[in-house]
Amino acid sequence: MNALDRRTLLKLGAVSASVTLSGWMGRLAQAAADAKAKPKRSCILLWMNGGPATIDMWDRKLDHENGGPFKEIATKAPGLKIGEHLPKIAEFGQNLAVLRGMSTKEGDHGRGTYLMRTGVMPSAAGIQYPSIGALVSKEIGDPTSELPNFISVAPQRFFSQDAYGPGFLGPQHASLVVGDNQFNNNVPNADDVLKVQDLAKPKSVDAVNAAARIDMLRDMQEEFAASRPGGVSRSHSAAYDRAIRLMQSESGKVFDLKEEKDAVRQKYGMNLFGQGCLLARRLVEKNVPFIEVTLGNWDTHGNNFDLVKGLCGTLDQAWSALLGDLKERGLLDTTTIVWMGEFGRTPKINQGKGRDHYANAWSAVLAGGGIKGGQAIGKTSKDGTTVEERPTSSADLMATVVKALGLDHEKTNMSNVGRPIPLADRTANPVTEVLA
Amino acid sequence: MFARLRFAALIALAVPGVASAADIAPPPKPIMTADAIAGIIDRHLAADWQARGIQPTAPASDAEFCRRVYLDLVGRAPKVSELRAFLDDTEPKKRETLVEKLFTLPSHASHLAAVTRAAWLPQTVTNQQFFFFGSQFEVFLRKRYAENTPADLTVRKLLITPLRVNGANGNQRFIQADPNDPESQSLIGFYQANEVKPENAGAAISRLFLGVKLECAQCHDHPFAPYTKEQFWEFAAFFAELNALPNRRPSDTAPAGPQADKNRLNIPNTDKQVIAKFFDGTSPEWNEVMNPRQELAIWLTKPQNPYFAGNLANRMWAHFFGLGILDPVDEPGENNQPSHPALMEELGRAFAAAKFDNRTLMRGIIRSRAYQLTSKLSHPTQTNPRSFARMNLKGLTPAQLFDTLVAATGYRENPQFKNAQFAFFPQANNPRSLFLNRFASTDKPTEASTTILQALMLMNGDFVDSQTASERAEILAAIFEIPGWDTKKRVETVFLTALARMPSPEELEKFASYVDRAGADDKKRLALGDVFWVLLNSPEFLFNH
Repeated sequence: MNALDRRTLLKLGAVSASVTLSGWMGRLAQAAADAKAKPKRSCILLWMNGGPATIDMWDRKLDHENGGPFKEIATKAPGLKIGEHLPKIAEFGQNLAVLRGMSTKEGDHGRGTYLMRTGVMPSAAGIQYPSIGALVSKEIGDPTSELPNFISVAPQRFFSQDAYGPGFLGPQHASLVVGDNQFNNNVPNADDVLKVQDLAKPKSVDAVNAAARIDMLRDMQEEFAASRPGGVSRSHSAAYDRAIRLMQSESGKVFDLKEEKDAVRQKYGMNLFGQGCLLARRLVEKNVPFIEVTLGNWDTHGNNFDLVKGLCGTLDQAWSALLGDLKERGLLDTTTIVWMGEFGRTPKINQGKGRDHYANAWSAVLAGGGIKGGQAIGKTSKDGTTVEERPTSSADLMATVVKALGLDHEKTNMSNVGRPIPLADRTANPVTEVLA
Repeated sequence: MFARLRFAALIALAVPGVASAADIAPPPKPIMTADAIAGIIDRHLAADWQARGIQPTAPASDAEFCRRVYLDLVGRAPKVSELRAFLDDTEPKKRETLVEKLFTLPSHASHLAAVTRAAWLPQTVTNQQFFFFGSQFEVFLRKRYAENTPADLTVRKLLITPLRVNGANGNQRFIQADPNDPESQSLIGFYQANEVKPENAGAAISRLFLGVKLECAQCHDHPFAPYTKEQFWEFAAFFAELNALPNRRPSDTAPAGPQADKNRLNIPNTDKQVIAKFFDGTSPEWNEVMNPRQELAIWLTKPQNPYFAGNLANRMWAHFFGLGILDPVDEPGENNQPSHPALMEELGRAFAAAKFDNRTLMRGIIRSRAYQLTSKLSHPTQTNPRSFARMNLKGLTPAQLFDTLVAATGYRENPQFKNAQFAFFPQANNPRSLFLNRFASTDKPTEASTTILQALMLMNGDFVDSQTASERAEILAAIFEIPGWDTKKRVETVFLTALARMPSPEELEKFASYVDRAGADDKKRLALGDVFWVLLNSPEFLFNH
């Protein structure tokens, strides 16, 4: 049946709009068969852009001048204590594994971002490493799903665009971004900002014409790809397939936060990060394997303590609401949560009451699926400047996260330079102590 | 209504606007001619195709060539009037004449400058911290391309520009422009984008102008190439004056003078000090007059330096073919051999013999058989993009895409909007800025990827909608309103403006009958808009082929 015949039929009302998808439904069915046995697991990355002062949050130094003014509080887990400005998170102590031995080698925003999100340093050998989200999309994602397998909520990609990309895994694992270019966490209309842009067809076009357009476009695409085969035309088709699937399915509604009760929305905090965490929960409910939510402004070179206190308020409210909702829905056991930034901050407090970039000793936190909570692993020196126990590299962390998701960190994918590259760098030593 | 008439005139009339050869200043006459360069390319590739049993594709049609060369030289596809003029021209040398005309357009210099800036300072594309330095530096490049400055002079100027480094704190350095040199303000952007660090500047210069990526030798000996950590720091030492000392030093004010510590560096975390040295192990004869960067400039740009000429010629090649003869262009070694080593070597020598005249090299490449092949696959032996037996598909830069949309739709852009280059903070009412933001990418042109949001923007976004489905549509409304045309003529013109080609008879039949079956005039207008929408969303529009 050619496109125009279909259009004629459409006009007669004989065929529903969904039939126009038949051409690529076959491909999807095949991909579905390939993907069937994969378990439903999800990962949420809470990305703290700018480098959070983890010494003030997860690894308090009460007996040293580097510790600063914040107190320490107990969590629900015996023996696990954290900073005083995370009281709601403390309630979930049993679910948290604090990695206090993070020791990475990069104190520059751009390179540090790349390092922590890919598990490797920017490559001089021209290898385009995938970001962790693309990796999870590749390993766990369902290629036939209506929703993309990697969704970035309010990312701030200016430090390193490459650290957010699919790298050699290819465009089908690129993230769908919502809330791009937002730098103010307190936007008044977070629910509008977090919608997929341009998802609705323009009002000027009625349903019949819209279907005809897509039919005619498919014909053009197929003809072009037949005479100019290759990755460029494949990527074009893949993106349009995904976009059209999203437009025509009901799944797009997951981005409409107005579907949630006001009280639920309030619980997360009526700000971009809070609503982003709520969106992450909704996406996990739809089996999206990887979602990241960004909270920025952690680059506290001056006035660290006031700023960190404020940011902790936002974080504490949203993250605790997320953990509570996931638990209530029985999803916390299958959802691994990673909390980190590109590095920590100097234990020594500078003259402007700030803390500067510091990668030598800092903390990251894991929670939920596959994680043995209620503990801190690794130990820093009394002044917080060096790691004394269980130093953990970015590759170690990457390996730990993929193992928590039930994957083999040594499994390889073929790279753009024709060398197989493991999920986590070969040097990686996963932190098995925190794996459930 | 006047606007409509203006467009109607542009579309309907074949403007005999292509400048005749007499209007154009005679090209300089270097020793090496463009035809000779084209001959070199043709000879090497023909031999390779024959040896490997490769059947190259058919020559590109005039329309395909015209769209391609516009995109490559001026950064956008041709407008209907420009395309018609070219197609109607019966001169046998019209392809060469068109190239000369395109060289004279301001958009030629700005497109090449933008492309070069992205290649030379990739950090300014992806990293907001450096964006401003990139645009600053682009001003310098634009002037060089407008004046067709020989490539060796451009590089030399970049290397020898005086640098007055400020900042006692090692991490907060900046360079002051030289008030006596009007171009200094632009040139320092290069060094600022390299964080005013000798190791960054050294790595960049070696990658860009020798085609040797030294970065990984910064911390350990190079794993794939014979470069040691010590060699890296010796090369970086040519930029030692960027290590500003807390106290004033001679190089801050005097452009020349005793070397003092201007040519030496300590390898970080070691006690070892190295003195600047070239890769080939030789050293300048240090004297009181020349500073290290001047010495480096002379060594680097010597015509006999095979790395320099070959690398620059290869980079130019990559601009036109989407990938280099050596590719990646800056990663030589066992794992990365040139696809045609003899061609690369000879091309480099020819570029040097042409006195590094960029336009001679461009003319030569454009006249080659390989450049003028169609991108349409016709034989299985053509699939390897590195055999150059068919033109590769190339992604468009965000600016190329938007400028091509402007040319295709007739959108009258507010001149102020045109200045938007800053991809990081889109302005809601400025379509250019929204496109630059949504399409920003670091993909290689031959591996260009499309994202879901890009597809959604092209399908559903305000800009394309306003040009395809609305009364506000500019060129489309004109095409629809020209009196006396039948539907086929209108569809044909939509093809010309969107895809820069005539529709095939089947396409014409199919789309014209789609429009005719719509019924009343207002429905027909919408149906013609559907056709335009389809073409603007098609890969044929979105890529250079």
